[in-house]
Amino acid sequence: MEDQIVRITSRLVAPFIQVYGIYVILHGHLSPGGGFSGGAIFGASLVLVALSFNLEVGAKQISHDTASVLESGGALGFVITGLVGVAVGANFLANRSAGFPLGEVGELFSAGAIFIITAFLGVKVASTIVTLFYNIIEGEEKSGNAH
Amino acid sequence: MELTNHFPALIMAVLLGISFLSPILYRWARKASAPALIASLSLALVMAIYLLFQVLQVGEFTYYMGGWPPPYGIEFRLDLIRVYMLLVVLAVSLWIMVYALKDLEHELKTEVMGWYYTLYALVVGSMAGIALTNDLFNLFVLMEICAISACAIISVKEDRACLEASFKYLILSAMGTGCFLLGVAMIYMVTGQMNYDLVNAALPEAVELYPNNMFAASALFIVAFGTKAALFPLHVWLPDAHASAPSPSSAMLSGLVIKIYAFALFIMFYQLFPRPLLESIPLNEILLWLASMGIMFGSIFAMVQVDLKKMLAYSSIGQIGYVFLGIGLDDTIAITGGFYHLLVHAIMKSMLFMCAGVIIYSTGIRQIKQLGGIGQVLPITMFAFTIGSASMIGIPGTGGLISKWYLALGALEIGRPIFVVIILASSLLNAVYYMPIIVNAFMQQEQFEYQVKPVPRQMLIPLFVGVAALVFLGVFSRPFIVLLENAVQLLF
Amino acid sequence: MEMLIKIAHNYYYMVAILLFIIGMHTMLTHSNLIKKVIAMNIMDTSVFLLFVAIGYTSGGAAPILTAPANEVLYVNPLPGSLMLTGIVVAVSITAYALSLVVKIYRYYGTVDYDEICLIRSQE
Repeated sequence: MEDQIVRITSRLVAPFIQVYGIYVILHGHLSPGGGFSGGAIFGASLVLVALSFNLEVGAKQISHDTASVLESGGALGFVITGLVGVAVGANFLANRSAGFPLGEVGELFSAGAIFIITAFLGVKVASTIVTLFYNIIEGEEKSGNAH
Repeated sequence: MELTNHFPALIMAVLLGISFLSPILYRWARKASAPALIASLSLALVMAIYLLFQVLQVGEFTYYMGGWPPPYGIEFRLDLIRVYMLLVVLAVSLWIMVYALKDLEHELKTEVMGWYYTLYALVVGSMAGIALTNDLFNLFVLMEICAISACAIISVKEDRACLEASFKYLILSAMGTGCFLLGVAMIYMVTGQMNYDLVNAALPEAVELYPNNMFAASALFIVAFGTKAALFPLHVWLPDAHASAPSPSSAMLSGLVIKIYAFALFIMFYQLFPRPLLESIPLNEILLWLASMGIMFGSIFAMVQVDLKKMLAYSSIGQIGYVFLGIGLDDTIAITGGFYHLLVHAIMKSMLFMCAGVIIYSTGIRQIKQLGGIGQVLPITMFAFTIGSASMIGIPGTGGLISKWYLALGALEIGRPIFVVIILASSLLNAVYYMPIIVNAFMQQEQFEYQVKPVPRQMLIPLFVGVAALVFLGVFSRPFIVLLENAVQLLF
Repeated sequence: MEMLIKIAHNYYYMVAILLFIIGMHTMLTHSNLIKKVIAMNIMDTSVFLLFVAIGYTSGGAAPILTAPANEVLYVNPLPGSLMLTGIVVAVSITAYALSLVVKIYRYYGTVDYDEICLIRSQE
C-alpha cells in the first residue's frame, strides 16, 4: 500500500502503540492484561509498519532471523525460570520458596517469578505474530503473486 | 538438590525444552539437532524407568507444581497405570524417531525438517503430560497441544492429500475439544473444583442438588474422547489422515495418539467419577456396542482397500475398538487385556507402518496389487511385515494373542459370550486382508518388476527391534500382565 | 411455567448454549472452509462465555487487589484467568486452520469443500 496518509499516520502512531504494549506487559500482575495481550499489541504495531510501508522497512525493524531467535528464546526463558525452582530445591515453577524477591502488593517490581514469566511471554507472543506474518507473506511471494 | 524428586516435572521440561530449542539448533548447528532430539527422548525414557521403580517401591505419590497444593496448584499424580502409559509413550516414540531420521530426508523438504523435530517433541511431551496430569484444565491445554501438533505433523509434508486430510482432522478435533470444554464447565459449575480427587469428593453431594449435570458432562466427555480416539461413528477423519501422512507420522499417530485419548477416557471415568455414580451412567453398554461395531466395520472396510497405508489405517479403527471393548467390559481381566493391547498394538502397527515406509522409500509403490514378489528383493522388511501381521491376527507366539485371550476371558467371566464371537470373527477378518499380501510377496513365480533402491541400515534396525519386542511380548508376557493386574486392582 | 422462570433467570447460560449449537451446526454442515473456521471460533467463544458467566457473583467488585484491601465480596477471578489461556489456544488453532486454508486454496483453486471432494475423487 502506498498511500501517503497511511504512511504518515502509521509512522506517528507506531511508537505509542509499542509503549502501550510494553505497559500492558509490565503491569500484568497489577491490572488485566499480561503477556498474551501485551505481546499481541506490540506485535501488531510491527505488522502495521510492515503493511503500510513495504517489507524491507518492516524487516529493518525486526528481521526474520531475530524474530525466530526471540520466539525460541522466550519459551526457553519460561522453562529456565521453572528450572530455577528445581535447582534451589523447591518444586518446578516455584515462586516464594525458590527465593524470587516478592516485594509489596501494588508495586511494579513485585511478585517474583510471575513478573519474569510475563516479560518472557510478551516477547515470545510479539515475535510469534511477526513470524506468522512473514511466513504467510513469503509463502505468497514464493509461489507467484497473491491471488 | 535431590533431583530425583522432580522427575515428573523434568520429563515435560526436557521434552518441551528440546522442542523450543530445535529451530535455533536447526538453523545454526544443523548436525547437532537430530542427536539432541534422540538424547532428550532417551533422557526422558531413563527418568520414566526410574519413576517406575520408585512407584513399585513406594506406592503412588503426587507432585505439586510450584509447591502449591491443590486446589491452588496443578498436581501430577503417579500411580502404576499412569507410569505404564508414560513408559509406553516414551519408549515407542524413541523407537519411531530412530527410524524417522533417515526416512524424512526423502519425504520432506530440507527447510521444514527442523520444524518436524519441534512438532514431534511437542506431541511426545503433551502425551507424557496427559498421562500424568491430575487437573482438568491442565488436561484441556495438553489435549490442545497434542491436537495441533498431531495435525501439523501430517501437513508438514505439503501435498494435496495431506492438506485436506489434516484440515478435516483439525475441524473434527476442534469439535471434540469444544465438547470437552463444555463438559468441564458442567462439572465446574456444580463442584467448583478442577482437581480430579477434589471433584471425586465433591461430586456426590453436587449430584443430589443438580442431578442432570453429571449426565450431560459424561455424554460430552464420551463424544469428545470418542472423536479424538476414533470410536466407531466418529472415526471418519482417520483413514485420510493416517494414509496421507509421512510414514513416521503415521506410525506415531496410529500407534500412540489415538491410544492416549482412550487412556484419558478411562482415567476420567474411573478416577474422576466416584464408583456408585459411574454405575448409574450406562457407559459400559455404550462403549461395548460402539467398540464392537468399530471392530467389525474397521475390518470390513479394510478388506476392500487398494492402497497399502489406507488399509493399515482402517485396520487401526478396528484395533482401537479392542481397547474400548476392554474398558467397556468393566472386569479386571478384560481391562488388563485392553491395556496390554495398547502396548502390543502400538508396537505392531508402528512396525507395519514402518515396513510400508521402507517399501515406499525403496520402490515408490503404494498399491497392494503391485506388491507381488517383493519378498525376494526386500526380505527383511517382508519378514517384519509377516511377524506384525501374525500378531494382528493373533497367532500364538506373538503378543497379539495375549491381549485377545485376556479380552475373551474377561467377556466370559462377566457372562457375555457374544463378545468372544466378535473377537474371533474379527481375527478371521484380519487374516483375510493381511494373508494375501504376505503370500503374494513371498510365493509369486514372476520376478518383481519395479526398480529397487537400497535401504539404509538405520531404517532396518528398528524393524529388528520391533520383531524381537513382539515375540518377547508374546512369550514372556507374565511380568507385564502381573504389573497391569496390580495397577487395575487399585482402581476397583 | 417454572421452566420459563428458570430460563429467564439464567439467560447467560441459555445464550451460551445457543451459540454453541449454532457454531457446531455451521461447522459440520456448511461447505465453505472459512465458514467452518469462523464457526469453530464461535463455538469456542460460547464456552468461554459460559465459563466466565459461572464465575460472576452478584454484588461483587472487580477482582483487582490494590494495596489496602477493603472490599468484602469479589467476583471469582479463577474462570476469567483460565479462559485467558483458553482464548490463546483458540486463537492458535484459528491461525493454523487459516494457514491450512490458504495452502488448500493454492493447491485446489477453491475453498468449497464439496468441490474439493469432487476434485479428490477424480484423481
